[in-house]
Amino acid sequence: MLLLVTAHLVLAALLPTVSRWLGRWAFAVGAILPAVSLGWALTSLTEVLAGGTVDESVAWAPVLGLTFTLRLDILSLLMIFLVSGVGVLILCYCVYYFKPDAQSNSRTSALLVAFAGAMLGLVLADDLFTLYIFWELTTVCSFLLVGQDGNTKQQRRSSIQALLVTVLGGLSMLLGFVLLGEQAGTYRISEIVASPPAAGALTSTALVLILLGAFTKSAQVPFHTWLPGAMVAPTPVSAYLHAASMVKAGVYLVARLSPAFSDHTPWWPLIATLGIWTMLIGGYRALFERDLKTLLAYGTVSQLGFLMVLMGAGSHTVAMAGATMLIAHGLFKSTLFLVVGIIDHQAGTRNIDELSGIRRRFPVLTVIGAIGALSMAGIPPLFGFLGKEAAFEGFLESGTTGDLVVLVGLVLGSALTAAYSFRFLWGAFGTKPGVEDSSAPKPSLGLMVPAAVPAALTLLLGVVASLFNALATTYAEPYPAGDHPYYLALWHGFSLPLLLSAVVVASGVGLHLARDRVVRLGGWLPDFLQAQPGYERTVAGLDTVSYAVTGRFQAGSLPTYLAIILLTFVLVPGSAVLTGGSMPEELRLWDSAVQVPVAILVLTAAIAVTMAKRRMTAVILTGVVGYGIGAFFVLDGGPDLALAQFLVETLTLVAFVFVLRRLPSRFTQVESTRSPRWPKVAVSVAAGALVAVSALVFSGARQAPPEASEGFVEAAPEGAHANNVVNAILVDFRAFDTVGEISVLAVAATGVASLILATRRARRPSAAEETEGPRKSREVRK
Amino acid sequence: MFQATLGSQDVAQSAVNIPEIDWQAISPVVVVFVAACLSVLVEAFLPRERRWSVQVTLSLLTVVVAGLALGLYVNSDAVVGTGGITVAGQAVPLFSADYPALFLWGTLLALSFGALLLIADRSVDGGAFASPVPPAPGGDPVQYQAPGRQTEVFPLALFALGGMMVFLAANDLLTMFVALEVLSLPLYLMCGLARRRRLISQESAVKYFLLGAFSSAFFLYGLALLYGYAGSVRLVDIAAATAGTDRPETLLYAGFGLLVVGLLFKASIGPFHAWTPDVYQGAPTPVTAFMAACTKVAAFGAILRVLTLAFEASSWEWRGVLWAVAIVSMLIGAVLGLTQTDMKRMIAYSSIAHAGFLLVGAIAMTEDGLSGTMFYLLAYGFTTLAAFGIITLVRDGNGEATHLSQWAGLAKRSPLVAVTFAFLLLALAGIPMTSGFMGKLAVFSAAIADGMAPLVVVALLASAIAAFFYLRVIVLMYFSEPAQDGPTVSVPGAFTTAAITLGVVVTLLLGVLPAFALDWASVGGFVS
Repeated sequence: MLLLVTAHLVLAALLPTVSRWLGRWAFAVGAILPAVSLGWALTSLTEVLAGGTVDESVAWAPVLGLTFTLRLDILSLLMIFLVSGVGVLILCYCVYYFKPDAQSNSRTSALLVAFAGAMLGLVLADDLFTLYIFWELTTVCSFLLVGQDGNTKQQRRSSIQALLVTVLGGLSMLLGFVLLGEQAGTYRISEIVASPPAAGALTSTALVLILLGAFTKSAQVPFHTWLPGAMVAPTPVSAYLHAASMVKAGVYLVARLSPAFSDHTPWWPLIATLGIWTMLIGGYRALFERDLKTLLAYGTVSQLGFLMVLMGAGSHTVAMAGATMLIAHGLFKSTLFLVVGIIDHQAGTRNIDELSGIRRRFPVLTVIGAIGALSMAGIPPLFGFLGKEAAFEGFLESGTTGDLVVLVGLVLGSALTAAYSFRFLWGAFGTKPGVEDSSAPKPSLGLMVPAAVPAALTLLLGVVASLFNALATTYAEPYPAGDHPYYLALWHGFSLPLLLSAVVVASGVGLHLARDRVVRLGGWLPDFLQAQPGYERTVAGLDTVSYAVTGRFQAGSLPTYLAIILLTFVLVPGSAVLTGGSMPEELRLWDSAVQVPVAILVLTAAIAVTMAKRRMTAVILTGVVGYGIGAFFVLDGGPDLALAQFLVETLTLVAFVFVLRRLPSRFTQVESTRSPRWPKVAVSVAAGALVAVSALVFSGARQAPPEASEGFVEAAPEGAHANNVVNAILVDFRAFDTVGEISVLAVAATGVASLILATRRARRPSAAEETEGPRKSREVRK
Repeated sequence: MFQATLGSQDVAQSAVNIPEIDWQAISPVVVVFVAACLSVLVEAFLPRERRWSVQVTLSLLTVVVAGLALGLYVNSDAVVGTGGITVAGQAVPLFSADYPALFLWGTLLALSFGALLLIADRSVDGGAFASPVPPAPGGDPVQYQAPGRQTEVFPLALFALGGMMVFLAANDLLTMFVALEVLSLPLYLMCGLARRRRLISQESAVKYFLLGAFSSAFFLYGLALLYGYAGSVRLVDIAAATAGTDRPETLLYAGFGLLVVGLLFKASIGPFHAWTPDVYQGAPTPVTAFMAACTKVAAFGAILRVLTLAFEASSWEWRGVLWAVAIVSMLIGAVLGLTQTDMKRMIAYSSIAHAGFLLVGAIAMTEDGLSGTMFYLLAYGFTTLAAFGIITLVRDGNGEATHLSQWAGLAKRSPLVAVTFAFLLLALAGIPMTSGFMGKLAVFSAAIADGMAPLVVVALLASAIAAFFYLRVIVLMYFSEPAQDGPTVSVPGAFTTAAITLGVVVTLLLGVLPAFALDWASVGGFVS
């Protein structure tokens, strides 16, 4: 199995080269592997029908617990029929659909095959992570395939919406998988389904998150709007990805997990509500579309809602209906898409208002299209009818109120489906008064055959209903069957489901006949039911927030940046200091009276710096602060420290002076208003006050004895024969530090000297040196 | 202050202790520093026209030799993982070549090899770096064609690299601080060296320097407070002090807070990220690549080390704060990235968001968290390196065309560049089969295993928002009509091609076969 999946990806990598020789026949080469997969699935059919499975597992990244685990069972088998079966048809169709010399052929063929591989992996995956990986790969392939030539803004928007919505859903699903896996203690899907984790808040959360992924992928309300938007893709791509296979991934996931979770609280109510809502809205919107392809897309949305309900319900008969509808939908929808593709290809339009008289020109094509559309509408003896009958029967069986409500929804939805199916037939093939007959060349056989094959199968499986019975029954096995298990058949006698079917068809015909009146509604929906504005508002809201925050905090203003850092400093460590710290018990205002004037001097200078208008004044005032600190050192009996401080200050001042000679004498910033300064004042005062308070708190908080200084004092007489401990430290204990400091000073002095020389050399201010000047002085201060 | 803090041990033992040096273990660092000094000499004594080739050869060779030394040590018979510089009588080296350090050294060397390739490339438009010669009088100081080439960037880069290697291996806060400065000062300078758009480049250098100086001061202040708390600057001693004593907690919390501010600043984690977009945008793109890839590795290496070795016991007290920081960072990066119109700024915001993701792994405090974060660093570094490499290629008449609108329709003009860039963006968004996915998976699963599910929810939300702006670029490249006078894509020189290829191959390789790197990342933890 893994070999098959890998082979797809390898072939996809080779196809661009192949297509250089073979042109569009590369699609045919690409069709080989899906054909092989289909053949392999058919050979495994008997084993799977007997209840067996095929397992395969390869360790990938054991550290992360990543294993590729694949497993073929009945559900996978059904999906492979769609993925590989439709894949073969589509790829053959592509050979005749695309222009022989189109540049995009190599890309499209490679992506289609890669997508087929990813999808095959997805339906075979038996490990949550494996599933997720293939899930996202299909998203990426879909995006790249849709992005053929979207040149209008609308197309760009819809394609990004498609990607965004599905990626968002995928990520939430990943989270759900992780939560579920942690709950269950395993990431193997088969094991989780066999022994599901106990119901609880966490499990429910996980399920909701997983459903979110499934709903976005399968275009359920309110995420459905991406699917009609994705119809900008070439028709074969739409037929494959957005009708037959990829959008079924969500349905598949629900079908996969339903045996374990259909009785968990959020699972079924959520699926039923959104599924039916989707079915109704999709069907309703399809009644107004003038573009045949978009009409089909809304039809797909509607049918996906239907399938969701069938797959999530968790009863035997409904599950059989689900399996039947899954295949039936794949068959008739691919037929219809391919037919639309042919019409578009030959007639150059797919607008209902422009097409006319196709039926007379292409009788064979009309028959094929009619089979597809009537199967969609649920007309016997076609395959779609079987599925719908089974669904009605399934929800009638139990007779509970909930099921009956669901049934009513399904009947309404089916009526809408019937209506738009007729509308499709009329729109595509009908002759409209006042419209010229479309002139179109005959389509080639290569286009007709891929469309005819699924139509033929639709007819065959419908007429010989028992053919599919075994598959559907095997699929429904996990759910307990009643005493008289349901079986697929065209004729169950005069029964309520048959009556409902008749009602559905009749109202569908009625709706279609009244189309002029219906169309006047114009697809109107109350605002709160529309999903698109919601999406747009979310995106616009994010943008607004982003602009507002960027404008306020990221305007390139250094003071703002600094303020953010300082505020964080005030709030986080500051709150720790204020709540946890205690002031020292004994506080003296000063040790000696001389400290007072010095302190006042320093404070005045510090405040004055912020008000200085001339650069030189500011520098000198900063110097005053520095010298003041030096004075404190003298007063506290540290003359050596004071000396160093004075030296550094002087050097800095000199450096500044030389730099300032090349700058304008006043600060260039204009102070137009006084008010905006207050926040800055507040922030700096708060930060300064906090530093002051913490200095007090910390000095009181220290408990450990000052080992270092005591150690030095002890060691000085013996170790260095010194009476002055400061001397001993400078020249003995920390001699290397002293050397280092001296060299730093020397380097700084060299810098100053070079500045002096540089001033002589050039009169013009040079940008490079302006920035280097202050930096050097900064380094000195450190 | 230095004299006082350093003194205690050796004075107390009253004998000169010569630290035990495991030369083989630290040989990569030694190689880098020796080469950096050589490189300065080359700059001083070689004639101008020969410097470039010698500097390029020397610096690339240095990284290769250091990498070989690292490989030799890891594969040697010696007991790997305990070496370093050990002060006698201490169990834990002062400067430790333990497994995480070795892994991150390897990462750093590989990344800086790529970054140096980008720096060295001058085939496009003569390279990104300015000559120090000022413009002629009357010339345009903002943009001018300088004669000669800037080669000062090579010794600076080597010093920065050496500083980073020491920074993430330092087991005491003072060594760490010195390394912090050794790595920062060259970076400040390198930011201002752009040949084009000089004013914005220099503005970025000044901003980075001023804010960086502030954060260094915070780091130092925190260090002092922690010394006051524990009586030592060694991480293990701080850990011992935090484990059940009646010391005043105020000093610990305030010290921790200040220390962490310094570290978070270097890792450009919100709300200390403010410099990142301006600096990433202003600095020459190869330097931005170097910073984005290597500085992040170094800063997170240090964060992991400090948190694990010194503050594990007190983790319950600070975890809430770092949760908040991680959330802020992820949201800031993701939401603000949405409206960016400049490619480099956009990747800067993405790096802020990624820093948040990394922090999620770093505060998990488990072995999986450690290895996951290190793997993420490796993966992210290569992806972002290659992304910046591609940005250097898309140019118009005024140098790099970094405005988003200029990238419209790039796929039509240059499919290969577009597909490569799209792949890298998908990796940044964390799509499967890229290293980005594996990194996120590793980090997030470690975080969930450690009971941080709510944080992971926010992280996934942020990933989804961030995915929006990556995907928007892809859409722009593939779906739009190219602008009439849009930028041209330069044919990359051999160096840039090599760097981008390296980045892309690693991104793909780690996405498809992550096992070997993950295994290596989880060989062992910090020695304590």
